[in-house]
Amino acid sequence: MMGTELNKRWILTNSQQRDNGSQLLALTAFQDERIVAHWLLPDGQCRENAIAVTAGAFPSLTPVLPQVSWDEREIHDLFGYIPNGHPDLRPLVRTPRWPDAFYPLRSKFEQPIPWLDVEPDNGDQRVTGEGVTIMKVGPTHAGVIESGHFVFSIMGENILHLDLHLFQNHRGVEGHLEGRRLAEVAPLVSRICGADTVSHQVNWASAVEKLAGHTIDQPLAWRRVALLESERILSHLNDLAQIPAGVGFHVAHQQALAMKEKWQRGMHSLFGHRLLFDTVGPGTAAFFDPDALGRLIHDVRRDWQSWRALVLGHHGFQDRMLGVGIVRQADAARLGAQGVVARASGLSFDARSVMPLYQEWKVKPAGEVSGDVAARFKVRLEEVETSWRLLQDVIFEVAKMPLPSFWQPPEDLAGDAVAYTESPHGLNAHVVSLKNGQVVRYHVRSGTFRNWPLLTKAVTGNAVGDFPLINKSFELCYSCSDR
Amino acid sequence: MVWLVQLVAIIVMAGLAPLFMGIAQTVKARLQGRRGPSIFQGYWVLAKNWKKETTAPEFSSWVFLVQPSISLAAILLVVAMIPWAGMVAPNWPHNLLTIFFLLALERFWVGLAGLDSAGTFGGLGASRVATLGAGIEPAMFAAFGVLWALTGGTQIQSIAEKVSLLLWGLAVVSYGLVLVAELGRLPIDNVDTHLELTMIHEATVLEYDGRLLAEAQWGMALKLTAMIGLGWVWLSPAVPSLWMNLLLRVLEVAATSVGIGWIESRFTKLRYFQLPTYLAMASGIGLLAFYLMASGGLN
Repeated sequence: MMGTELNKRWILTNSQQRDNGSQLLALTAFQDERIVAHWLLPDGQCRENAIAVTAGAFPSLTPVLPQVSWDEREIHDLFGYIPNGHPDLRPLVRTPRWPDAFYPLRSKFEQPIPWLDVEPDNGDQRVTGEGVTIMKVGPTHAGVIESGHFVFSIMGENILHLDLHLFQNHRGVEGHLEGRRLAEVAPLVSRICGADTVSHQVNWASAVEKLAGHTIDQPLAWRRVALLESERILSHLNDLAQIPAGVGFHVAHQQALAMKEKWQRGMHSLFGHRLLFDTVGPGTAAFFDPDALGRLIHDVRRDWQSWRALVLGHHGFQDRMLGVGIVRQADAARLGAQGVVARASGLSFDARSVMPLYQEWKVKPAGEVSGDVAARFKVRLEEVETSWRLLQDVIFEVAKMPLPSFWQPPEDLAGDAVAYTESPHGLNAHVVSLKNGQVVRYHVRSGTFRNWPLLTKAVTGNAVGDFPLINKSFELCYSCSDR
Repeated sequence: MVWLVQLVAIIVMAGLAPLFMGIAQTVKARLQGRRGPSIFQGYWVLAKNWKKETTAPEFSSWVFLVQPSISLAAILLVVAMIPWAGMVAPNWPHNLLTIFFLLALERFWVGLAGLDSAGTFGGLGASRVATLGAGIEPAMFAAFGVLWALTGGTQIQSIAEKVSLLLWGLAVVSYGLVLVAELGRLPIDNVDTHLELTMIHEATVLEYDGRLLAEAQWGMALKLTAMIGLGWVWLSPAVPSLWMNLLLRVLEVAATSVGIGWIESRFTKLRYFQLPTYLAMASGIGLLAFYLMASGGLN
């Protein structure tokens, strides 16, 4: 009786949280049999709800909060906790090669687990009927693309349904982090993915600082802002370069890649790494010369202006993007769309508006309402412009400031913390649990993880030939999701 | 003498075909701000593939294995039939319908082999090739028919003055539209993509490798040469020397390859569902020219 009450309260509290405009940061399972939901309230505060796993099961939130469908499937695969009432509990991460009752995160495995000698295919969701063709693409692709397996149900040239099979290269980052000492964590977190790495690093750093009760000084905070915005520009330049490639607009594709390369070389000489790995840690941030960054911005921005004029003035290109791959606002809200995808569909949330780091800088979220490829393209254009301006303001201030004071976290840090940032691909949250300066649990919930299911919504009803374009307008990271 | 020039022309054009392809690719690379591969890259690729082992998909039949040779032979015959020197050699086969059907034959086999490999992309490509073919053929028939009728199949020389500029313009425009569609160039198809889902012609040759792939690639280059050459044979003013004529053709095809590279850099690929509109326009313009000609465009 008591259990049912708790279950009802778990579902009710979480759906109320969503209804009052909060963002779900993460749904995290722990080895000590509890599930915790972290919410980001509209005022920037974090709140957590927890429920105990009883008899290996917990009540599923998916029926009332469809955005956690993948989270719960992942928990089911990695911990073996059963979300009671989940409508689609097919394996997400799990492959048929894992032996029965092998749950990688439930307990520590000293020996490598022997894999079963079976085909690695999980069952797929497909449309059946006369004239329906099943088209399987990947996990090996014709270009240099990460590993994803896509099962399309098509009729003629129309996509009826798309079933995603990601997690082909699951690295078990969360498992690897368990038991690590503080100093060993940053390099691993840095390499969770190549597109949102600074965002991941800042999350780890602020989680540690929060646990130690340390407040970073302004010079350090603003250097982190500069790094986060540099990463946003790098990532958006890349994503903007890929969209024209989807329609054979090679000139715009190559010119944008050249711009990105110029920026990336600048990143290497300014921060020491082309992808900005190892630039932020607890109490630190990479030192850089503000004037050199200013010159780089000036230089790349000149190319940017002419490129922007080229793509905005190209009728054929604009025509291809309009009305294609629409994400309806209702779907975006229901499935918890993040970042560019959300802001292109009329949801104007940008975590920078509540992040403590950005207190001094008023960031107005970009906003489009049509939800198509054109809207996502425009949102990125606008965000790059915002980031240029923000960067210039930041380096103007940083140049006048004294050098930041660096800080070392205490060796025996302990406690639970949640940290978040607005990565180039959306709200990125880390849930960190430490004990005696060692990681007990580390959960990463990146922006792309929530956007993948929306891709299937966006492509349904579109032409097969438009899929690459729609996919590129999302430009979702596999690495962040597969981890 | 005409025989000799024609034989030399066939060898020269067949040999230069990969170079014309290379010219278009180099122009595209430069317009994209890249240096791009060598202009002779086509030859290295052909040589490499020619030496490689050939494999076939598990469930494919002889159709898959013979297609590249049949298509290549069909295109070679088209190249051979074109009066490159502006004059038809005595007893040389020279027939518009034959050229037309040879091109259709190539399309038919490409589609068949695409289905034969039993891959989804091949099937998708075959379906698209066939669908487009249904639109390309009437347009090609109209455009080719008008130009053939106006020139007697060789050159414009004498009748040029009798024909109105409008008629010429319509015929040339419809020919240009057909050319881009038949060669699978932007804005119809993208020869430089790795995106399987967007491919039209490329999807039908995805499964090929080794010598068969080399044959398919050479066939594509030959088709480019033949289609452009055919237009110039009809449109170029006559030059007295046969050899000069041949030289002019080479230069004209090379110049048109530059033009194709330029056009491909200006356009994005059209939506697949918009292609019928493009082809209807090509057919419409061609038919209009046909009507003008039939109803007294020749005065």
